[in-house]
Amino acid sequence: MTGASPPAGNGPLPAGGLAQRQAELVAALVAGGPPPAGFAPAPLAATRAALLRKRAGEVARHWPLLAAGLGAGWPSTFAGWAANRPTVGSLRDGWDLARALREQGALPPAGVEELVVRESRLRYDGRSAPRPRRLPAVARAGGAVAVQIAGRVRLLRPAPRPPAARSAGGDGVPDAAGSAAWISD
Amino acid sequence: MTGPYGVGIGWRPEIAGFVAELPGLRFVEVVAESVPATGPLPPGLAQLRERAVTVVPHGVRLSLGGAEPVEPARVAHLAAVAQRVDAPLVSEHIAFVRAGGLEAGHLLPLPRSREAVDAVCANVARAQADLPVPIALEPIAALVDWPDDELDEADFLTEILDRTGALLLLDVANLHANARNRGTDPLALLDRLPLDRVGYVHVAGGAEHSGFYHDTHTDPVPPAVLELVGALCARRRPPALLLERDGDYPPAAQLRAELDALAAAANFPPVT
Repeated sequence: MTGASPPAGNGPLPAGGLAQRQAELVAALVAGGPPPAGFAPAPLAATRAALLRKRAGEVARHWPLLAAGLGAGWPSTFAGWAANRPTVGSLRDGWDLARALREQGALPPAGVEELVVRESRLRYDGRSAPRPRRLPAVARAGGAVAVQIAGRVRLLRPAPRPPAARSAGGDGVPDAAGSAAWISD
Repeated sequence: MTGPYGVGIGWRPEIAGFVAELPGLRFVEVVAESVPATGPLPPGLAQLRERAVTVVPHGVRLSLGGAEPVEPARVAHLAAVAQRVDAPLVSEHIAFVRAGGLEAGHLLPLPRSREAVDAVCANVARAQADLPVPIALEPIAALVDWPDDELDEADFLTEILDRTGALLLLDVANLHANARNRGTDPLALLDRLPLDRVGYVHVAGGAEHSGFYHDTHTDPVPPAVLELVGALCARRRPPALLLERDGDYPPAAQLRAELDALAAAANFPPVT
């Protein structure tokens, strides 16, 4: 780093202008694109992992009950889902993941409740930014029911919890249970 | 609207109460994208302004290093926030955060090439045209290096600062991280940077993960970073040092101890 002359290149320079090469690097990091020519693999992999950790933290801030419900499994669950999916914003990322987990029957009760509360308040088509619902709405998933009237949301019925989960807290993540009264975003 | 002075801390909503109770505090930084351009200021921030604490907006999503022109709306937002908090300067990074229609979600490094210098200087000039105050540019910490650098780090940064007239926001933790991960000497780089251009300095914590040092902002400031603060101050003391903490907030006593350690390392009055 202190040498006066620039480092000599090993072999031909990668093709393409700055815009194209920046796009290739971002695609490799967040969208499962091929590694750009000439980049060392280990730092690329470490950067990819660090980005996923950071994203998981940001999505957890928007979806605290989803993340807490998954407990110690949150980082790996999120990373497995997000590895080749570029972010569309933390709110939508968490929403898409919650729906995917619901379809697999893998959404924890706290996440179910968070999802129905959101879905009763906002209309989300999975492709563009969620918008407030103008009309009263009822959302149901996994036994949980939320109702929204004039923008106020109420969780009518919490998601059933398996007996083992009632004594939870063992994963060291707080706030997982006791979410029935939690409302709004 | 006094310039940053002494020891400051990155203002975040989660620690607003802690920051509000620092009796000697004269300087904070706020993530520009988190402050609305209109409507009420976040409550804690408004109170700091009433106490005449200097607030520096710190942009993280302008993508000044992107090959595409910086988005005017993002510059306009940064300018509006600077005006709202009566900032003496704003800051952003020498980095890009999106390309080809994809958001990286983080600051990514530029190749140290003439083409990249031209791109970042053009974007900084675009931003400067619409900003009401000077801008300070921050070199980032990065794990990846581009394969075909034409300039070394010191020449790359100096050329950008010379051509834009921007101030330097030197991040000592980034300096440590890059040197640690590349096996280079951070003091050798310090000796070649234009330290007279430093507007203020960032300090943050980090941690090792699988063979790399990560500038996490969620871990304690390691001793090596504090030592670099001392080495920097021995060469030329910057006007201000700012502690960045972005999560896993420790107990107040621990955060106070970090601020005190910064003050001691730079011989600034304690703010706690």
